[in-house]
Amino acid sequence: MANRVGIVGAAVTPFRGKWHEKTYYELAQMATADALADAGMELKEIDGVFYGIYNDIFERTCIPEHPLQGIIGLQNKYGMRISNGGATGAYTISAAHAYVAAGRFKAVLVLGVEKATDCFDFQSMSATPEVIKTIGWSGDSFFEQKLGWTASDSYAEVVLAYKDEHPNDLKPEVTARISALFSEQVRSNNFAQRQFDQVTPEEVLNSRIVVEPFKELEICVYSEGAAALVLAEEETAREISKRTGQPIVWITGLGESNEHSFAGRNHKIMHRIMSDHIAANQAYKMAGIKDPLKSIDIVEVHDAFVHQLEITMAEMGFVPFGRADSLVEDGIIMPGGPLILNPCGGLIYSGHAVGASNIMSAWSARNELIRRRMKTALVHGTGSTIAQYGVAIVIEHD
Amino acid sequence: MSDKVIPLNVIPDQGGHTVTIEGREYLVMNDAMYTFYQRSMGEFSEFFLALRDEKKIIGCRCSVCGIVRVPPFVTRCPDCNFAPTETVEMGDTGKMLATPPITYFANSLFQQQVPFGRGRIFLEGADTAMSINFYTTLGILVPGLVKKGTAMKVVFRDERIGAITDIFCVPAVELTSEQLAKKGLLASELDWETSVEPDLPAADPQDKEHFGSVLQQLKALAVEMNSCERARKDIAEWHRTVAVKATGGEFTIRIADGNFSIEPVKTEKSDFVMVSPDPKVVLDGLAYQGSLTQAIMTRDLWISKNVEFNTIFKLERMARSLARSKKV
Repeated sequence: MANRVGIVGAAVTPFRGKWHEKTYYELAQMATADALADAGMELKEIDGVFYGIYNDIFERTCIPEHPLQGIIGLQNKYGMRISNGGATGAYTISAAHAYVAAGRFKAVLVLGVEKATDCFDFQSMSATPEVIKTIGWSGDSFFEQKLGWTASDSYAEVVLAYKDEHPNDLKPEVTARISALFSEQVRSNNFAQRQFDQVTPEEVLNSRIVVEPFKELEICVYSEGAAALVLAEEETAREISKRTGQPIVWITGLGESNEHSFAGRNHKIMHRIMSDHIAANQAYKMAGIKDPLKSIDIVEVHDAFVHQLEITMAEMGFVPFGRADSLVEDGIIMPGGPLILNPCGGLIYSGHAVGASNIMSAWSARNELIRRRMKTALVHGTGSTIAQYGVAIVIEHD
Repeated sequence: MSDKVIPLNVIPDQGGHTVTIEGREYLVMNDAMYTFYQRSMGEFSEFFLALRDEKKIIGCRCSVCGIVRVPPFVTRCPDCNFAPTETVEMGDTGKMLATPPITYFANSLFQQQVPFGRGRIFLEGADTAMSINFYTTLGILVPGLVKKGTAMKVVFRDERIGAITDIFCVPAVELTSEQLAKKGLLASELDWETSVEPDLPAADPQDKEHFGSVLQQLKALAVEMNSCERARKDIAEWHRTVAVKATGGEFTIRIADGNFSIEPVKTEKSDFVMVSPDPKVVLDGLAYQGSLTQAIMTRDLWISKNVEFNTIFKLERMARSLARSKKV
């Protein structure tokens, strides 16, 4: 029987478009110190660390976690780095959970950090094209990179294939309203990159096309920052909870799935994100959830692109296929609706510090459950080419 | 000099600069990670050599279940307990798996090539779809030209190096029956229509009045752009002279390292030309009440050089910066 595992501390650094003042060393240290302070713990109580760092090139270092071990004061203890594309943070939580649930450790640190925008393109004198190029090295190196593969065009493949099957869904006016909604919700996230960048649906519609059909204000923004959680087994978690007076938020369901990266018969079904579907259903089964819309109060979805978010919500069972627009049209996620979606503003407005992003989402979901006195939240991560990786994590208020 | 694996013009100079934030100086260094390879193509050598030397596309067929995978990315079928696969030659026509994306804002390696498409083609007889670039011979690539199921023909570049970029595809409907039937069709055998500037209708007095009104608004917008630090930063170190032609008149947009100006005169020496029947299309794009890229996609705006999409993006970024600064 696996041990129960709870989140007993959480923290994020501000996510910024550029941190000239900090390297990833100090960002990691800031998040660690604040997460420990939130848990009322000292370093000696932490048995090990799970690092979520997506891309060596962003950090300009292979094995970028090695300097961090001593910098965060965990020298001579367990440390493992997880790198799973955009889903790195969610996979890192999953890995840490497994070790604590198995009884290897009593309390561990989950630490995500990324310095995404040190990359710089000296031709256009801007960071973004070089950031996209860096991610472009993640495409298949034999058959796809040289064709101009990017994260955007690979996710657009999935979205356009979905629209082939459901031409009346993912309407531009709906994706624009979702982006505008998140831009309002981000106001309460003091750590967000675009906390005060509120936009109207019209502004979203008028923003430039990056890769058809994605507009600039429908895409997550690359960011620099760190996020950390402290996970503990039940006895330790209860002792910490007594100490801090903060309730425990338990991890009650997890699911992970990686699809095929080539498309066709017995391979990737291009108009589906089966990784999200499989991951969510595994997590629901583990948590005993039959109807996610009834059981789940808050969802923090990895919104790499608004269109993908809508498909993901359908894959995770909140809306039917072909009717993902009902998220807005039936008021499901609108103010007063039955579901709170991306209260942190999502990665489109909070920022996407890749390895830290899903950990930031978990930080938000945990804090929102406590603040709003709600019961259940779902945290999601997506990543790799054509939305190949999917992770779903159910967390529940004590 | 032969082409380099890293283009020399993208390499920055050694050095750095300082940034002052809240009275403190921080150092920012120019830097790079680079690794060169003599990379073995291993089991894929047959595929790439066939592209390069024989203008042929190779797939692999499972000896048990018969599934045909293109490109041949496995030598054993993982669905059949790793039964061996055998090489098969594929045809060079097929259909698109799904409506493929078109990239308008590319990564730094591909900025000179936008807009470009990358889709997946089911070659005849194949069970998996191969990633491939697609183009049109009829001008700028816009959505709707290539969709799910569109019949495509693979075309071979005249100069091939043994890479996936040795091939691309075009809609079959744009080719003659001889071209469609020809095996190993070369890019040089296609009729690539050269960029032809669209004609504008003759202007009546109303058009001229409209043009004059739009021009005044553009000039006022330029003043705002130049007083917005964020917008100026978007065109830092960028220099372009753009000739703009519309029904009712011509004007010039000048971008000079942070300065943006509208000059009510036509210029003979421009970096590129914009043509739009309605000058308001340009005004709306710059005022963040529309999108220049969208206008190009809908053919309401024509530009003479694809590569100048980079300038279009900078102008659109300026428009958003100005709109944002007005809110704060």
